[in-house]
Amino acid sequence: MSTILILLPLVLTILYSLVTVPILVWMERRIAALIQDRLGPNRCHINGIRLGGIIQSVADMMKLVFKEEFLPSHIKNKFYYMVAPSIAFMSAFLTFMVIPYADNITIGEETFHMQALPTDLGVLWFLAFAGLGVYGIILGGWASHNKYAILGSMRATAQVIGYEVAMGLSLVSMLITYGTISLNEMVAYQSQTFFILPAWGIVLQPLAAIIFVVTAFAETNRAPFDAAEGESEIVAGYHTEYGAMKFGLFFVAEYIAMAASGALIVTLFLGGYQLPYLTTNDLINNFELVLWLIIAFAVVTSLLFLRWMKKHNIFAMSGLNETKVYTTVIIAFTIFAIIVMSYYALGFAHASEVGVMLLQFAIFTVKLFFLHFVFIWVRWTLPRFRYDQTQKLGWNILLPLSLANIFITAIVVVWVNY
Amino acid sequence: MGIKVVQRHGGTFIEKIYLHAIFGGMKTTLKHFTANLSDASNIPTICYPEQLPRDITSRYRGVHRLTHRKSDNTIACVACFMCATACPAKCINIVAIAREDGVDEKMPEIFNIDLLECVFCGYCVEACPCDAIRMDSGLYSVVGDNRESFIYDKAKLLSIKGISKEEFSLAK
Repeated sequence: MSTILILLPLVLTILYSLVTVPILVWMERRIAALIQDRLGPNRCHINGIRLGGIIQSVADMMKLVFKEEFLPSHIKNKFYYMVAPSIAFMSAFLTFMVIPYADNITIGEETFHMQALPTDLGVLWFLAFAGLGVYGIILGGWASHNKYAILGSMRATAQVIGYEVAMGLSLVSMLITYGTISLNEMVAYQSQTFFILPAWGIVLQPLAAIIFVVTAFAETNRAPFDAAEGESEIVAGYHTEYGAMKFGLFFVAEYIAMAASGALIVTLFLGGYQLPYLTTNDLINNFELVLWLIIAFAVVTSLLFLRWMKKHNIFAMSGLNETKVYTTVIIAFTIFAIIVMSYYALGFAHASEVGVMLLQFAIFTVKLFFLHFVFIWVRWTLPRFRYDQTQKLGWNILLPLSLANIFITAIVVVWVNY
Repeated sequence: MGIKVVQRHGGTFIEKIYLHAIFGGMKTTLKHFTANLSDASNIPTICYPEQLPRDITSRYRGVHRLTHRKSDNTIACVACFMCATACPAKCINIVAIAREDGVDEKMPEIFNIDLLECVFCGYCVEACPCDAIRMDSGLYSVVGDNRESFIYDKAKLLSIKGISKEEFSLAK
């Protein structure tokens, strides 16, 4: 039991960072398509099973893996050229290590942390590795020995320097508000109530939330701050000279960095794994009621989804009857989940603790995917900022605003507490 | 006419902080997203092999065809070489022979169109004095597995049916 609980956050880190990448690529395409009145990927299938198009991103990844790994002959620093994508990938991946996926769980005498790296210095770790991610881009652009690549990496560098300052300062105001730098304690703080609203970061500090979200977009080189890979001006920016899985690593790193930023935004500003108005203890003490609500929710959502699928899954591929397979799987899974939940509720020693932990994973996942949706939604709404506009926004607007926010926060906190 | 004063935007405080406009844009895209997610049948995308294009009219320039005379159902072409002369791609190859049945003086013995060379400009149709060559077949997809199969000869061109109301040549 204890081994499982220690390994669980590590497994979840891999799930949230690596396994969600194909899903994110699929979301990116589908949401872009629906926003632009198109359909998106709906052809690629394995024996008739398309999973709504997710198979397409699996196929794309397979293509990148099996492509020839070539090395352009003009590249002098082969080591830096090869190591750059790994740095971008590793730092994006490691950023995830400190995110709390659920509250600390106490079973018997032992307490387990639901962070892959149970440290109190979570915010610092995030800042360190989010800043390190750009080294991969800089190194890749420089080692490529290509003017477009070096232009792209220079843009990325200047942008990250400018926005890292504002990001750090907006974080400082959050640290003053919460009075801690441990991410788990921050989430615990957000389970309180602020007048009638839940005391989420976005309610307490709307200005810091806006600054942090904007800088997170810039930090991950996502639109509208993706000047580093501005296709219309500099071919593909820093990864112009990269192909096959070396490009694939840059590509995956962008999505993992986006996921990590989304996870930190959820943790800092959207209450992390908490439901509004309910603390972890409330959930544990009323676990049976919570379980019934989950079962009702599962039944209703699967029925709604089946109705939606019957209307929209109209193009049959050769092979299995897709709609029938999905219907069977969803109904079977719902019944199985209900049976397991009622079994554990009746006859398992730590059912309520483990159940609440799983519920908090689910809540965190839902909030994280909402953030992913926002990232993608913004990308397909806003055009790219011009480069000087990016710099002006970072240095002239966000930096003074975040400084002013720190002063105001500090004054309010001192005034309230003393 | 007086001077038209164009109202300039971007000066007010709300416009300067961008957020108002950004949320306005995001509202628009979200409206498209939710509308298409809840009812995908309004999306104009055509899933091609299963659904065929709906915008092929009789004026669409598809694969050429040679028309027949209404009186005796023989070939309308008189081998005047006007189409081959007008053709910018030089893809029409005609060999003329004398017509023995008394309907007209000449007819083509060979009438080949190389569809790999053709640019589908429609100049041959405009040049034709006899309404003998038309592009109203509505065929938008020409497939073959060797180069020779793209050279359409007289028999093939005569066998293609049109999608316009006039089946026969309109020439007097």
